[in-house]
Amino acid sequence: MITLTDISKTFKTKQGTFNALKNISLSIEENTIHGIIGPSGAGKSTLIRVINQLEKQDTGTVGVFEYTDVKKLNKESTRMYRKRVSMIFQNFNLLEQKTVFQNIGLPIILHQRLKETDITLIRELITLVGLNGYENSYPNELSGGQKQRVGIARALVSKPEILLCDEPTSALDTQTIKTVLELIKTIKEKLNLTVVIVTHDMNVIKEICEEVTVMNEGEIVESDNIDNIIFNPQSPVTSGLLGTIGLDIKQFISKKVTKENMFVLLFDKSIINQSLISRVVQIHSVNINILYANITPNNKGIMLIEINGNQSKIQSTIKELINRGVEVKHV
Amino acid sequence: MFSNIDNEAFIKAFQETIFMSFVSTLFVFIFGLLLGITLFATGKQSINQNKIIYQISSIITNILRSIPFLILIVLLVPFTKLIVGTILGAKAALPALIIGATPYYARLVELTLNEKGKYLIETGQAFGASNYKIITKIIIPESLIGIIRGITVTAIMIVGYTSIAGAIGAGGLGNLAYLYGFTRNQIDVTILATLLIIGIILFIQLISDILIKKIQKT
Ligand SMILES: Nc1ncnc2c1ncn2[C@@H]1O[C@H](COP(=O)(O)OP(=O)(O)O)[C@@H](O)[C@H]1O
Ligand SMILES: [Mg+2]
Repeated sequence: MITLTDISKTFKTKQGTFNALKNISLSIEENTIHGIIGPSGAGKSTLIRVINQLEKQDTGTVGVFEYTDVKKLNKESTRMYRKRVSMIFQNFNLLEQKTVFQNIGLPIILHQRLKETDITLIRELITLVGLNGYENSYPNELSGGQKQRVGIARALVSKPEILLCDEPTSALDTQTIKTVLELIKTIKEKLNLTVVIVTHDMNVIKEICEEVTVMNEGEIVESDNIDNIIFNPQSPVTSGLLGTIGLDIKQFISKKVTKENMFVLLFDKSIINQSLISRVVQIHSVNINILYANITPNNKGIMLIEINGNQSKIQSTIKELINRGVEVKHV
Repeated sequence: MFSNIDNEAFIKAFQETIFMSFVSTLFVFIFGLLLGITLFATGKQSINQNKIIYQISSIITNILRSIPFLILIVLLVPFTKLIVGTILGAKAALPALIIGATPYYARLVELTLNEKGKYLIETGQAFGASNYKIITKIIIPESLIGIIRGITVTAIMIVGYTSIAGAIGAGGLGNLAYLYGFTRNQIDVTILATLLIIGIILFIQLISDILIKKIQKT
């Protein structure tokens, strides 16, 4: 759906040139919520802005929809393209002098007068984002969460297929973050959207992202589905980010001296309720220490265990676990 | 007190001041807004970044702004003669007033548009708006308060300029105050002229406050 190939972007600054994106290649699947995470300055915003061409790449191509390279589109086609790729912003970017209703209608008002059908659509969107009764309020009468809801409704008014979100919750408090993310998830399902979320906050990724791309210093560190990112992080940057939400298994491992008999388990929700470990312990008469256990965003169980017993018993224990549908990784 | 007051002369002078201030403010508003938008639109990272146009507008603006008004009037004498046909009277003051105040207002407009410019441009572009729509439908409506505040300050400055122009032959309250107060030592005329000028300025401020109150969304 979105195919970035060999994207590079250099900014000229007073200190010289700065490579914000270095040969980035990335595919984003249709109908997924794809997170892009990395420390500040990693190039995340630049990358997401290349997708809707608010920023033009120096080299490489951005293929979206039927277009092989959206950079080649002329002004008029770029405008049409941007109606299909909407955006929400960290600071909401609402117009202070316009009401909620007018703000949501803005993408239409910019092109033509509001028709009866547009007014109906705006009303529906106000209901969808839960802002009934606020139609005639002005942005500075709203809370941060409500402002972002206006931003979301405004982004949906052009009936886009892709929703780009640049740090959509970074200006919000923890409680509000959850509700806004829930809303994004809901509209994605309802409207079959492809959602790209840029964030520096691993909680956001954990909460709603199915696919994750980790960026650092203008490069992609790794890109995978959320379970693999958590179960099997490839880079210290990823581990560091996982550590911020207590999901970095390596933290626990490094504290232990012997790693010989330590394993990471990943298993389905159905297994969580089966008291798996105690059964295996009984059958194979081994001793199992659970060093760490958590549940991933996709409701999978993840566990770090240490098995004590002789080698053949350990081996049969692992076989048993694998047979029961558990993914086992030796540390 | 006020024994030297000649009613007719005052009414005429008052009308001249109002005429000069009003007409030049009107022109300054139009020209300054256009120049200010040009400065904004061609500036760094704006919608129509253009170094050459920006630099030219910017240099002209700066030069005109740095010429003291009295000297500007003198410099413009040939130009004024050409356009108005005379260098005396209220009409003759208009070119200098307009040329003197336009760059000032243009800078104020540029400043106020730049205030939220970056994110407003981003918003407009993200929703596929043309540059023209971004200016007319987003940036100007969002900057309306700043634009009004700017023209208020400028109008008040123009009223001040009219009395400088008045002193060297343009008529108006400034002329009256100078002519009677300074050269004939009739201080009461000067005081009354001053009070009237203050009245005009307070009136401008009042209108501006009412307008802003009406459009401000709080
Ligand atoms: N318009 C610009 N001009 C100069 N440098 C820029 C510009 N935009 C971004 N950068 C630089 O590029 C780097 C990446 O920026 P950005 O994509 O905003 O990072 P992130 O969103 O990951 O924090 C930063 O170091 C930033 O200073
Ligand atoms: Mg950013």
